[in-house]
Amino acid sequence: MRLVPRPDAGSSGRERRRRLRGVAELLRPYRSRVILAFVSLVLATAASLAPPYLAKLAIDEGITPGDLGALNLIVGAFIVAALLYWGATYLQTYLVGWVGQRALQDLRLRIFDHLQRQSIGFFSRRKTGVLISRLTNDVQALDQLVTDGIVTLFSATLTLVGTVVILLLLDAELALVVFVATFPLLAAGSVAFRYFSAGAYRAVREKIANVTAYLQETLSGVRIVRAFGQEPRHVERFAELNEEHREVNYRTVQLNATYFPGVEFLSSVGTAVILLYGGYQAIDGNITIGVLVAFVGYLQSFFDPIQQLSNLYVTYQQGMAAIDKIFDLLDTEPDMQDAPGARELDTIRGDVDFDHVWFSYAGPDCDMEESALALRDVSLHVEAGETLALVGETGAGKSTVAKLVARFYDPQKGAVRVDGNDLREVTQASLRRQLGIVPQEGFLFSGTVRENIEFGRPGASEIELMSAARAVGAHEFIKALPEGYETDVGERGSRLSAGQRQLVALARALIADPRILVLDEATANVDVHAEVAIEEGLRKLLAGRTAIVIAHRLSTVMRADRIAVLHGGEVVELGSHDELIEAGGAYARLYRSWAEQAAA
Amino acid sequence: MRSFVRLLGFLRPHLRGSLWSLVLSCLAIAGTVAIPLLLGETVNAIEDGDRDAVLPLALAIVGAGLLRLGLAVPRRLISGKVSLGVEYDLRNRVYRHLQSLELGFFDRQQTGQLMSRATVDLQSVRFFLGYGLIFILQNLLTILLAAAVMFVLQPSLAAITLAPVPLVILAAARYGRHSRPALQEVQQRIGELTAEAEESISGIRVVKAFAREQERQRSFTHRVTRVFDQSMFSTRLRAFYNPMISFLPNLGLAAVLLVGGRQVVNGSINLGEFVAFNTYLLMLMFPMRMLGIALGMAQRAVASGNRVFELLDRAPRLEPPAQPRSLPAGGGQIRFDHVTLSYGDERPALVDVTLEIAPGETVAIVGGTGSGKTTLVAAVGRLYDVTEGAVSIDGVDVRDLDPSELRHSISLVPDDGFLFSASVRDNIAYARPEASFEEVVTAAQRAQIHEFVESLPDGYDTLVGERGLTLSGGQRQRIAIARAIVTDPRVLILDDATASVDAATEREIKHALREVMEGRTTLVIAHRLSTISLADRVVVMEGGRVTAQGSHEELLDASPLYAEIVDKGMPRLGAALSGLDGGEPDEDVVGEVGAARG
Repeated sequence: MRLVPRPDAGSSGRERRRRLRGVAELLRPYRSRVILAFVSLVLATAASLAPPYLAKLAIDEGITPGDLGALNLIVGAFIVAALLYWGATYLQTYLVGWVGQRALQDLRLRIFDHLQRQSIGFFSRRKTGVLISRLTNDVQALDQLVTDGIVTLFSATLTLVGTVVILLLLDAELALVVFVATFPLLAAGSVAFRYFSAGAYRAVREKIANVTAYLQETLSGVRIVRAFGQEPRHVERFAELNEEHREVNYRTVQLNATYFPGVEFLSSVGTAVILLYGGYQAIDGNITIGVLVAFVGYLQSFFDPIQQLSNLYVTYQQGMAAIDKIFDLLDTEPDMQDAPGARELDTIRGDVDFDHVWFSYAGPDCDMEESALALRDVSLHVEAGETLALVGETGAGKSTVAKLVARFYDPQKGAVRVDGNDLREVTQASLRRQLGIVPQEGFLFSGTVRENIEFGRPGASEIELMSAARAVGAHEFIKALPEGYETDVGERGSRLSAGQRQLVALARALIADPRILVLDEATANVDVHAEVAIEEGLRKLLAGRTAIVIAHRLSTVMRADRIAVLHGGEVVELGSHDELIEAGGAYARLYRSWAEQAAA
Repeated sequence: MRSFVRLLGFLRPHLRGSLWSLVLSCLAIAGTVAIPLLLGETVNAIEDGDRDAVLPLALAIVGAGLLRLGLAVPRRLISGKVSLGVEYDLRNRVYRHLQSLELGFFDRQQTGQLMSRATVDLQSVRFFLGYGLIFILQNLLTILLAAAVMFVLQPSLAAITLAPVPLVILAAARYGRHSRPALQEVQQRIGELTAEAEESISGIRVVKAFAREQERQRSFTHRVTRVFDQSMFSTRLRAFYNPMISFLPNLGLAAVLLVGGRQVVNGSINLGEFVAFNTYLLMLMFPMRMLGIALGMAQRAVASGNRVFELLDRAPRLEPPAQPRSLPAGGGQIRFDHVTLSYGDERPALVDVTLEIAPGETVAIVGGTGSGKTTLVAAVGRLYDVTEGAVSIDGVDVRDLDPSELRHSISLVPDDGFLFSASVRDNIAYARPEASFEEVVTAAQRAQIHEFVESLPDGYDTLVGERGLTLSGGQRQRIAIARAIVTDPRVLILDDATASVDAATEREIKHALREVMEGRTTLVIAHRLSTISLADRVVVMEGGRVTAQGSHEELLDASPLYAEIVDKGMPRLGAALSGLDGGEPDEDVVGEVGAARG
């Protein structure tokens, strides 16, 4: 069995410094509250340690000598300590919660902002799930550390140290006897329990995740289950998974059933040791009975922190791992920033020019000789108002051309220009405001239909909104939705059909009134009615704009002013439909092949 | 109260264990309560200077501790077993019940809601039955027993010092009731935040394309603030209740010092009894708090229990026939006789449909969204019951057939090609687990997927589905076709894929279909011309009615809707492009191809 690695295993001094710096930076804006929280924590701990000592005083100074005045005073002090504990704990809980949550809020926003400033290339190289987990799971792991962990760490340590000091001061000899009798067993037992129970609880989490996943899957596939009448098998399998969970969970029952009663037993052993050893001392007059009672009282404040601290280890490890992952992300410099002194692009006419463009996805510094090229010396000119259809097989470079127009990437060699402006010299925002991009899948955000169309141009008027929807032929279906334009489209637009999403995406592009439109035609099979509507919508959208269309439909290709046939990252043919048919090249072969298919 | 009693009913199968753990609990508590008394005795002995009495008393404390240890370990093992047993039973029962409900039930429920019943509500019920109840009893007993001893020792002192106990329990119960929902709401809002982040990151290309980073940041900030607000609400609850719950017992302790101290001085109790009182109060702090929290938990468990019962009480509505008839020999003739089918109070999905499909015939069903196509085919497999009229197969009403026989005679290929997270082999043999490997391979061959499966790393043992290898739409579709024919059904029902597939795949699917349709009655919901071309007859549906039917050529003349469909549903360029390549779905402007190539 592998032992748990040391928390710092594998982490360099540089990483540790970064963690500290990062945490300090997060807390800096709230430093006065942090200090106040710490002060109240110390006060609360001190107050919580007072009662056993005050009980000792009550016995030794009040009860034994029969001094009722002193007893009253001590009880007064006792109540003051209790009130202080109340107030300080309230303040500490509140402040730690506030600072912790505020710092996490800042961190979430910082990560999100950082992500938003990254280039598209950044997102292509990483899995969405991993990025989201930085924002959610990792921040969550820190939450545990911040709200529970740090408080426990300080309060348990302070309590432990405080108790040990008080016991040593009360009677060093008795204190040492009690430590020797209980500490080694308690500490070893707690560490062992943490070690084994961490594994056991992990197993439980895994098994319950299996149960939940199976439930989820068979619920979403319930149609298949019913259609094939396989219910009994699923019930049986579910019971198996359920049983597996029960078995591993029983292991945690066993661990708890040994550890907690064991600690209880040790505490009675501790009490007996105090009474036996301390009792003889008391009879001999070396210590007072009050000291004895205080020792019994402090036994618990000695036991609890040890259990709590051993509990903290896992939280600490997870928190540190999360911090490292978060700072790794925050330390990546965003690429594709606007160049210093980048110009705002004025209203453009819509002239697009590819000037001997070479491009590879391998990154800006890649070796052009060795990397796979997505575009090879592409030169293209699209006049303002012209529609250019890009045709070619998968990997020919069609979508790369589209991405370069939107400046999702920069070419390694050559330049992409709009109205003669090199895209690297203008601000990205001013370019994209005048650019409409319609992706193949109509990606919508959750929210209403109206909000999704408005996304193209926030602040658009009601009339503009509806006329955009009407122009692309989306108005009718939207009107027929239960709440019209106010209908919630669901996560990623899931409550609309693929065709409807596509239409809303077209309206969104139209309302932005872009000069240049980059369009990846949908290949998804949509409802026939929707398909008719989409074709109409497209026609409206393209009119009077520069358009670069990745075409999947022959009707679209034939409507284009010119067609560029790409192959292996190069433009192999360029011209109108008639010209290319005349030329009898790749496009003509393609067209013939289509005609045969249609006839078949 | 009634649902509380019903909840207790789940404990019945574990009655013995429950009783044992209760008995052991009581005995262990006796040990716990004895320790402060022994402590008091020891203090008295020490005060009296009785050297000989100290050792036996100290040993008695260890003995009491040992007794408690010996009882607590089996008690925890037994009650843990009971609690896990209750959880196991409850979860199985809910799942079995869900699987007995008809499909219509699930159409009207959101999967998320059902999941939450089957997980969150179940959790709170089983937590209560498993641990909460024992907690309540155990802590209550500890408090009562300790209080009894204290009253015997010195009634007036006991009355004063125990006065804060009800307050602590009350405060803890309130906290227990409020804190969990508040924390669940935090989780809920974190869920919203996650969804928002997920959307922004998945849709980053759209965000960038429209330069809308700031709006997204604003709306994310809103979500983050909501999480903060709710976390602070929960923090305030904690800050309010926790210190208070810890403070209140101190009043009792102060009373022991003040009043008990005086009583020692005036001789009505001895010092040992004073120490015992002090120790009892310290000892009761934890049980008081836990009792309160467990009581709060009980209230929530009843609410959750009600939701679980609501689910369990919902009776299945597609009852199997009392005396099922078996399917006579036949070729799979299907008859719709004036069928009307309504899912509820809405407009019926099918209105007076009469249709006859000859054995071995292939019928394509065409129509817009909501025209009733899916309902029509679902009624054949009795996934829904008709409201009026009847559907029969080879002359027998589907409602009179044994459901399992019916479902073996009819196979469905769904439009999304849903596969389970299992091996390819298990997915294909889904409807007939006992099928031999040869039969699975034969089905795969006929569905044109065998070669592909062979090329996978683990062949037929490759894990697919949500948690396995990601397959393209066309690959999933063909595995679904293989799955459908492994039972050699009389009737094949096919919901044509709406997802994008490239031309080569489309050809292969068509080829696969032609092969498997051989000798079976087939109903196809058609979205593409290529699928329509497989059919002997086309049925056009509109608003739940069959508005036209006939051959492709006949319909071109007779049905304007059909003519429009065929006219506008032009073949894709993809079909032609397949001459150049035969690859995967076409790349997408917003796609990830760059990464793959980079």
